[in-house]
Amino acid sequence: MQHLPIASPDPIPLPGPVWLLRTLLLLTFFLHLVAMDLALGGSLLAVFYRLRRKSEFARQTARDLAAKLPVMMAYTITLGVAALLFVQVLYGNFLYASSILIGIPWASVIVLLILAYYGFYYAAMHDEAGAGVRVVGALAALLLLAIAFIYVNNMTLMLTPGRWIALYRRHVSGWNLNLGERALIPRYLHMLTAAIALCGLFVVLSGIRQRTTQFGQWLIRQGAAWFAGATVVNYGFGLWLLLSLPARIRALVLGANGVATVLFGAALFLSLAAVVHALMLRAGRRPVANASVCVATALAAVALMVVIRDYVRNGYLPPGYQFGQLRVVSQTSIIVLFFVLFAAGLATVYYMLSKVAAARPAGDPASARQQKA
Amino acid sequence: MNYPIWQLGFPGGLLIATVAVLHVFVSHFAVGGGAYLVLTERKAYRNNDRELLNYARAHAKFFALLTLVFGAVTGVGIWFSIGLVSPDATSTLIHTFVWGWAMEWVFFFVEITAALVYAYQWDRLDRASHQAVGWIYFVAAWASLAIINGIVTFMLTPGRWLETRNFWDGFFNPTYFPSLAIRTAMAVALAGMFGLVSTLQLRGGIRERVARWSGAWVVVGIVFLPLFGLWYYRAFPGFARRYLAGGISAAGTAVNLAIAAAALALVVTALAALWKPRALNGAVVALVLLSGLATLGSGEYLRELVRKPWVIGGYLYANGIRADALKQISATGVSADSRWLAAKPAADSLAYGREIFVLECSACHSVGGYRALRARVRGWDEHFAYQALPHLQLMRGTMPPFAGNETDRAALAKYLASLNPATVSISPANQVAAGREVFEIHCAACHTVRGAFRPLNLAAMKAGAIDRLLKILPALNPNMPPFTGSEAERRALARFLETGQPTS
Repeated sequence: MQHLPIASPDPIPLPGPVWLLRTLLLLTFFLHLVAMDLALGGSLLAVFYRLRRKSEFARQTARDLAAKLPVMMAYTITLGVAALLFVQVLYGNFLYASSILIGIPWASVIVLLILAYYGFYYAAMHDEAGAGVRVVGALAALLLLAIAFIYVNNMTLMLTPGRWIALYRRHVSGWNLNLGERALIPRYLHMLTAAIALCGLFVVLSGIRQRTTQFGQWLIRQGAAWFAGATVVNYGFGLWLLLSLPARIRALVLGANGVATVLFGAALFLSLAAVVHALMLRAGRRPVANASVCVATALAAVALMVVIRDYVRNGYLPPGYQFGQLRVVSQTSIIVLFFVLFAAGLATVYYMLSKVAAARPAGDPASARQQKA
Repeated sequence: MNYPIWQLGFPGGLLIATVAVLHVFVSHFAVGGGAYLVLTERKAYRNNDRELLNYARAHAKFFALLTLVFGAVTGVGIWFSIGLVSPDATSTLIHTFVWGWAMEWVFFFVEITAALVYAYQWDRLDRASHQAVGWIYFVAAWASLAIINGIVTFMLTPGRWLETRNFWDGFFNPTYFPSLAIRTAMAVALAGMFGLVSTLQLRGGIRERVARWSGAWVVVGIVFLPLFGLWYYRAFPGFARRYLAGGISAAGTAVNLAIAAAALALVVTALAALWKPRALNGAVVALVLLSGLATLGSGEYLRELVRKPWVIGGYLYANGIRADALKQISATGVSADSRWLAAKPAADSLAYGREIFVLECSACHSVGGYRALRARVRGWDEHFAYQALPHLQLMRGTMPPFAGNETDRAALAKYLASLNPATVSISPANQVAAGREVFEIHCAACHTVRGAFRPLNLAAMKAGAIDRLLKILPALNPNMPPFTGSEAERRALARFLETGQPTS
């Protein structure tokens, strides 16, 4: 254990209780994950629908997704910042080291992100019919795929300090990736497929809003198919991921840890329920009710997966680095101030969005365009 | 020394500086530009000025595109780069201010939502609601600046935090308010500067109206800078003020550049935007923007420079070593503390010496590039380097003390001596010139002759007397290492000092 090159805990104590920091980490990560899924999945679906140029519905879907991608990116980044903040305070001595080891790819995330983000703005502001949008949209989606891959490299490397020294010896300049990690590819595919699935639900919801039109019906069927198909495929990737975890950690969700096991079972059940409701949606039955259940169960499954991911992460930590041993000196008054501001911030955002919603002209612009078509 | 060192071949600080200056340039615009947009919108409604309203609408799109993407992502880029380059400092800041950042994040979240609504829902909202969203944006943006300012200034002047470890003592530190005033003034100036950029799209009378309006923002922002700058300077710690008083020439250069660039921006704006707005063109606007970038960039550079040898004043040195860890590292050696060394500790190991260089020096120095050590250790031999190392912190005041045991010290000395060996050729004819070279090698790290920093003036003494003093330097002052050159070099040095020729 003491041979592992893990930094000693910071001599400055944690400024808040571990349970609170962890809750905030998991909460903000969950929100970041949903926004990220919509952005990544949306960028891929937009590429897909742009290729089906003969279908007016497909072109319209690509246009609608393109218009929303900049907003999805904005929230992916904003919510990601919060998760990055809390992950640093709890796991800094792992994350800083692994980031340095893959320093070049890790730093390049910023450049790739700026390029992708401007790519999405370009696609949103230009005519879908042009070849420019198809090319730029595809490149931006590729950049997001690359960023996701770099993230999975870092998130796995930070948990395997046994590998650090060898990587550092190979390239002190940070020209490394964590390619020796068995869970790398399945984990990447698992996250990626989930992004496509969740974005399928986003398509369903845009269909629900205009369900009386043919286009709305089409969207519901398309979105449900994406969700159900991707989720079923993801059972395979999930199993692969599970098998690629070290036996000790795999055992956590298969009986060794009661809570993790129950949560894992519940997540599987919820995802299955979501798939069943997606299939009912596809059959055209009771769209609003089935879509609501489908979205609720799918989001609940994602939330549980975030918690299970946390169990897995902590399972990797060497015994000497459990949180219980960290010194805590809570900055209580500042924590209270944060929550007051947080509530005020939410209220302000609610005020602004309610103004926008109230001002929305009758008829969704997408359906208005649809009727014209 | 807890973390591996990201060895890029140049000090990582350069990367942080590049990302940070670009971010600060856009993010200060993001603050001031919010107020600029709403006030422009309000002005347009009051004067029933359709053209001005159209301008504001177009400028809002440009504003969103620049600040939401480049501004926001380069902000994340600072997170990434400080974590990669200064993980110890980042960890200290996170542990101290995580709730401060959490509050800043709330404002950031509100800010992003407000910017999206303001720029892209302009036509849907009624006038009053739209302006309210604009004000919400500005207040949130300025508040997030006000929070980050507390953390950035904490690094320069942690104030009473060093004793109390109290959040607010670190946050409202001695440079908090002057720095906030400077940044707010800069935000106002940058709002006008970027307003001038959008002005270029306009034709006819509206172009002149907007040029005058934007130019006024630039002038108002810059006019306050000297006053706030002086206030800021007076809150600097003593050592930082000494750097500005001539201790480090780069500090003076940065101040001069900041003043010159701000003055240039002021004059050009006054002439080409206020007085003769017809003269405004792309080149002039580019010049104003570049001057703004130079003002801001030299200000940020200066703040980082005068903080040396610290990254967090009085707590953490620029190389990531905590002040309170020095003693222990000197007792046990670097190898006991660092988990990342490849070479075995040995006094005569060049490889180990290089590792000490990477750990303790490479945060600020490259070997042959930026702040090159090769130039700074020219002519050093092992003996001299060994003698100089315990006095690093005295050189120009910008360096942290050496941390390590005898083995570490000898190995680093060996490495430093290997970088740029040079011999001074001395003949009876070139005594003074050779003596100057010896001075550069053996004395100039800490002294000048009649210059700004620790000046010597021995012109009143004869060479023989000076030579006798050179033999007993540590007895004159325990901070001085013994003279380690040859006898001929010593005599030449004495001859040079006798002339009293100045050095810088």
